[in-house]
Amino acid sequence: MSDIRHALLRRDPLSAAKEVLYHLDISLGSALQNAPGATPGLDKNTVDLVEEFIFQVPKDRSVQRKRMSCVQELQLLEIMCSYFQEQSKDAIRQVIFSALFGLQGNKADESRMAMLGKLVSMAVAVCRVSILECAATWLQRSHSAWCVRLARVLVDDYCTLVPCSISNLQNICSASPRFCCQLITAVTALYDLSSDELTPPPALLEMVVGWITEDPRLLLLTFINMPLTSSLPIGCLEVTPLMGLLRWCVKAPLAHQRGRKQSLTNGHVETEKVPGCEELYSKLHLSVLQVFLMLQVHLTEQNLLGRLGVLQAESVATLVEELGRSVDELNPLHAANQIQLALDRLAQALQVAMATGALLCTREDLRTLCSRLPHNNLLQLVMSGPVVQPPPHSAPFQPSLYPYIHPARPSPLSPHATHQAALSSPHAAHPALSPLPTHPALSPHCPLPPHTAHSPLTPHAFHPAAMAFPYRPIR
Amino acid sequence: MSAQGDCDFLVKRARELVTEDPWAAKAWLITARTLYPTDFSIQYEMYIIERNAERTSSAGRLLYDIFINFPDQPVVWREITVITAALRNDSQDKHALFLKGVFETLPGQVQCQMLLKATEQCFNTLEKAEMLLLLLKRFPESVVQHGVSLGESLLEAENVEDLDTPVNCFRKLFVCDVLPLIINNMEMRLPASLLHKYMHKAAEFYIGYVTRGPGADTQIQPSPEVTGLKSPGMGRGQRYVIDGLSEKSSVVTEPWERLLEIVGVVGARCEWQGEKGSRTYTELLQRVKELCRYLPGLEGETLSRCCSQIVTCSTLVLFRSAHHYISTVQPSLFQGHNALGVTPWVLLEDLSSVFNDVEMDRSSGKHAHKKRKLADGREKPMSSDDEDALGKGRGRHILVNKVEMPGWAETLEHFRTARESWDLLHSHDALESEFNKICMAWKTESWLWFRIFLTDMIIYQGHYRKALSSLVQLSALQPQQNQNSLSATSNLETHRALIQQASCHYALGEHRLACEKVLEVVSGLVPQNQEPVKPSEEQGRVRNKPRKGNDLRLIPCTSKDVLPFCLQLMLACFKLRAFSDSGRDDLALGHVIVLLQHDWPQGEALFLKAVDRICEQGSFQYENFFNYVTNIDMLEEFAYLRTTEGGRVQLELLPNQGMLIKNPSPALGVELNTLLLPGAQKADRHHTVTRGITKGVKEDFRLAMERQVSRCGENLLNVLHRFCINEKIILIQSLP
Repeated sequence: MSDIRHALLRRDPLSAAKEVLYHLDISLGSALQNAPGATPGLDKNTVDLVEEFIFQVPKDRSVQRKRMSCVQELQLLEIMCSYFQEQSKDAIRQVIFSALFGLQGNKADESRMAMLGKLVSMAVAVCRVSILECAATWLQRSHSAWCVRLARVLVDDYCTLVPCSISNLQNICSASPRFCCQLITAVTALYDLSSDELTPPPALLEMVVGWITEDPRLLLLTFINMPLTSSLPIGCLEVTPLMGLLRWCVKAPLAHQRGRKQSLTNGHVETEKVPGCEELYSKLHLSVLQVFLMLQVHLTEQNLLGRLGVLQAESVATLVEELGRSVDELNPLHAANQIQLALDRLAQALQVAMATGALLCTREDLRTLCSRLPHNNLLQLVMSGPVVQPPPHSAPFQPSLYPYIHPARPSPLSPHATHQAALSSPHAAHPALSPLPTHPALSPHCPLPPHTAHSPLTPHAFHPAAMAFPYRPIR
Repeated sequence: MSAQGDCDFLVKRARELVTEDPWAAKAWLITARTLYPTDFSIQYEMYIIERNAERTSSAGRLLYDIFINFPDQPVVWREITVITAALRNDSQDKHALFLKGVFETLPGQVQCQMLLKATEQCFNTLEKAEMLLLLLKRFPESVVQHGVSLGESLLEAENVEDLDTPVNCFRKLFVCDVLPLIINNMEMRLPASLLHKYMHKAAEFYIGYVTRGPGADTQIQPSPEVTGLKSPGMGRGQRYVIDGLSEKSSVVTEPWERLLEIVGVVGARCEWQGEKGSRTYTELLQRVKELCRYLPGLEGETLSRCCSQIVTCSTLVLFRSAHHYISTVQPSLFQGHNALGVTPWVLLEDLSSVFNDVEMDRSSGKHAHKKRKLADGREKPMSSDDEDALGKGRGRHILVNKVEMPGWAETLEHFRTARESWDLLHSHDALESEFNKICMAWKTESWLWFRIFLTDMIIYQGHYRKALSSLVQLSALQPQQNQNSLSATSNLETHRALIQQASCHYALGEHRLACEKVLEVVSGLVPQNQEPVKPSEEQGRVRNKPRKGNDLRLIPCTSKDVLPFCLQLMLACFKLRAFSDSGRDDLALGHVIVLLQHDWPQGEALFLKAVDRICEQGSFQYENFFNYVTNIDMLEEFAYLRTTEGGRVQLELLPNQGMLIKNPSPALGVELNTLLLPGAQKADRHHTVTRGITKGVKEDFRLAMERQVSRCGENLLNVLHRFCINEKIILIQSLP
């Protein structure tokens, strides 16, 4: 091994980096071929080579090596881009990507991140789907802190530094929806609206809302493609952006109010907050609710309803707490409407999430959780639950595991029953909501259904899941 | 808090928000629905938001939900009624299209249920039928269950309403919409009798539709120009609305083609002989003509099946061809033809041989004359068919000005085909009785247009006696309003029958009656200002086939064309008398000379024959001579006759002197007065007193001649028209 290293040391930095990439490709490729299915581990030496020659982390103080120039670094990035584009085997791509950018918990990680940020930013600019797909997986496996850093690089590059270049980022949604899904999760983790700096820039917000209204299923992509058995690494991003987006929607009215308050105290009346933002948050909120409805269809099909919470109760508790704090910070007299709007949205989301099985908690829990919040009619109604009444028509009330959820009732009138009987054609579930792979463990990177092939949803349809006419009760 | 209170609260919040923040409104309703999934008002509100925003797919999805979950809500029914109404009518407005779109998003079974339920709610037969029709069109499998009963209910409705025309909304729906569904549904086994009944209902409708008269408004708004000959029955130009239907659904395109399709399908289903799905009406007729030959050998059910095939096909061909023929000959009868723009035509005896020598006429018409005398001897013929020998149908030519009737060949072909079908239908008793049944059912007796065709056909067949009675029937069918109309065209149209009567009388040898009718016609004509240049003459001369004397001619019903015919007919009547072997008739000879001026020099030979006759007689008396003869050649000839070289013929051509001084105008010469008061006060002529003013006949004749020569440029048609009107009584009286 040290032979290789010595040989590499004699070369110029760029060709050495290329050589390491080549070495990686050969060794990992053959390892993968010999034991398909198993993820080949990296030996310490290889990791060292990667760190030393690609990320330019000096291993040996004695050897003063020439570092790559900026131009050479750009050339290296180009080489990586072409490598991933040309490597036809998805598994090899993933393994190489992970070998290169998988965080090792050492001092080389900073370099890794710097290079990764540049590579992904470049991939966005020139639409290199294979890199974006690898990055999506990376975002799934890495600690959220790193994910947030990558997100910030992209937001800086595309929203802040060169604002007109955002269309590049916008367009990748059709090329790599999985990456976009993860990116949304990452930016919602980045911007928690706790301060002005952590409020999503309007351009970013507009882009995210655009993506989601175009096709709300985007938000469930990672979740649906994730094997049931796989356990998430500790500290990684949430599996859907739903919680983060919900935070945005609920806290946005108060953040706006705070922004206004601050600008007022600063002495200049500054209302140049993008006027469309309120509308965007309203659209976003509706989309989130609609995605809950879609989620229910998926959970029902997978027989997971009531068994798998998508929204974590702890996260909800955190949100409620944050909301309570924000309310306290504001003068309730001046911001009564904003507070009520925030509470309305919270109540709506909690109700719909509970009813669709996205949030597993009881009304009792809810009452405890929200006891500190100011009064809101809808929240009150949600906490106490609907007045139990005999249903007006024949469908019998079926108590289920979670009585506050209204599961699909296959009543004689139910379209579910009549349709499947009437239409002999198989009741094709939406591809995005298709069943999980039977052996999820075997294919952790199961190929995505081509996202672009989906019929785009009418924005703001009540029943986004029902587009291809799979008339299923959604309640 | 009650559940209802909660729901009201939630819906109210959504309503408040919907205009300024529709997304929030929907978020409220989604939340509300998860709280109260069985509440109608929440889901209805969701639907209303989508509907008002005209979002088709989401509205459809929500409508589906509420239709399934709340089938008893009156509001849902109102909504379904609105949607099905949009489906039924042909409105293209945006909202109606949206509603149709919403319906289209629903799964078939729900559409079916919706339509059936909506049908149940309908009490109006027409609406109910339209609704059921929507169902049948979408779900062919429902035709088996509902098709025939829907058809029968429409036919019954038609009976109950006691509608006087088959072109009514019920029949339209039955024929154009329901029937194709029924007969094209192979799942259904229908008895042949029912199929025949339906097919006849369809035929009656389509024929009635094609031959419908012009509506009241068509007279008011004639489209500016209808040029040329268009295929009939296309219903263009004018608006036509079947009572109870919209203007658009009143339109039936290509009615004859639709009918042919139905006949094709029914024929195939009834296993007609040689039925391979008829492509044209000509093929239809050809096939049954062949079939007819086997008829005598058939019996029982085979016979009756064959009969109904033959009768159905021939009847349709007959009516179609007759309609095409009449739409050229009498276009103003039908909707879609401009009454003012198109001239009618009339079928008459061809008299272009009138200038032929009398001897030729005699030899060719000898037989007919004998016959006539025979008939005359029996006073009134018992059977109108005893002039059978006359035209005898076969091989009669119909002459027509090909320039003026561009589609002449087609028209004549239709006339021929119609006659052929008629003959076929009367070639066998079984066929005839079957055909008569159809005629009875359809009340063809009352079809003016068909009566016109029948009349022309009878004329063609040479059954002139029958034709005359047919013409009487025809005038009974003619609507009264035509008589009141003042326009020259319609005036001529009413005279159309008279002209044909004259022509028939002439053909029967009843010259006096013929002249009477003709003179009646002439009194309604307005002579052309200029003697027209006649392309028709050219046409006539080009034709060099020998005239048999029993050809027919189709001429336009205009003064320009009718007046020459009238003159020819009169000439034909007087010619025989003038050159009769039995004795001298100067008056007839004089009339002939006057009439021969027309179309000069066509009649030159005949004029010379008349001159010969005068020379033979040595004298000639015709007091109207100077009133009506302006032809310079004739004048010269007569001047010559008086000379020694000419044979010193005694000519008495001046009216009685007394008349000349009756109304003298001092400014004008005596002779001019004579000319300007032509034939005036004939009755007075006998009472005039001679006051010795005349200086001598010879001098008078010379002066009259000179004056006459100066009249040569006068419009001859005016002169002859005046002749007919002024000398009407004398003309009629001078015929036996």
